[in-house]
Amino acid sequence: MLVLSRKINQSIMVGDNVRIVVVAVDRDQVKLGIEAPRDIPVHRSEIYEEIQRTNQSAAAAPAPKATAGAGKATLQPRKPSQKR
Amino acid sequence: MSAAMEAGPITVEFPRFGTFTYAEEEVFTFPWGLPGFPALRHWIALTLPTQPTFVWLQSLDDLKVAIPTCDPYFVFETYDPKLPAYAVTALEITDPSEFTLLCVMVASANAEEMTMNLMAPIVVNLRTRTARQVMLENSGYSIKEPMPRKTATGAVAGPEA
Repeated sequence: MLVLSRKINQSIMVGDNVRIVVVAVDRDQVKLGIEAPRDIPVHRSEIYEEIQRTNQSAAAAPAPKATAGAGKATLQPRKPSQKR
Repeated sequence: MSAAMEAGPITVEFPRFGTFTYAEEEVFTFPWGLPGFPALRHWIALTLPTQPTFVWLQSLDDLKVAIPTCDPYFVFETYDPKLPAYAVTALEITDPSEFTLLCVMVASANAEEMTMNLMAPIVVNLRTRTARQVMLENSGYSIKEPMPRKTATGAVAGPEA
């Protein structure tokens, strides 16, 4: 892992489009500002890891009995206007 | 995958669901993988006669992997997530009529309780057949929202029910 020292208001570039700024430091807490293109998701690691674990638990679901005859699912588009 | 080379139906043997035949154009592509399964990019959506409201996402890259999901509106009619720009842009969604949502369901160890991940819906573009799971941090939606028993057991529950 690359380790860099930064002061408040200094930043780090990740690639050409992502800038991470140290906004504030208060004892053991660091506030970071992240500037990234709109198509790049930015999340706290814990949330991402919880989603990973949830997907893996879901995949471990017991296989339902009598599964013969699995068919293709028909996915309906959302029509929000009909819901309100 | 080359459509020109793979013309015609493809038959596979899924460990959970047995023999299944599908066409190339029925495959859903997850260009960014799925959290927890980053390498699995190709999936097919299945329903079982015994669980008409469930959509099983079956991986074509690892046939052992299948994930139960459900259209969240069938269970939570007021579910109204604001999709992040990165999903709409990345999936090239141009109109609300061309996408749908699937939420991952998790059963407890004894399969008595089921929860649905409303915080991270899978957004599916039905036109391009590409999909991405998004994370709605600070949306107030839970990763483990308990499902009402009636729908959790797979009974038919349409939007009007």
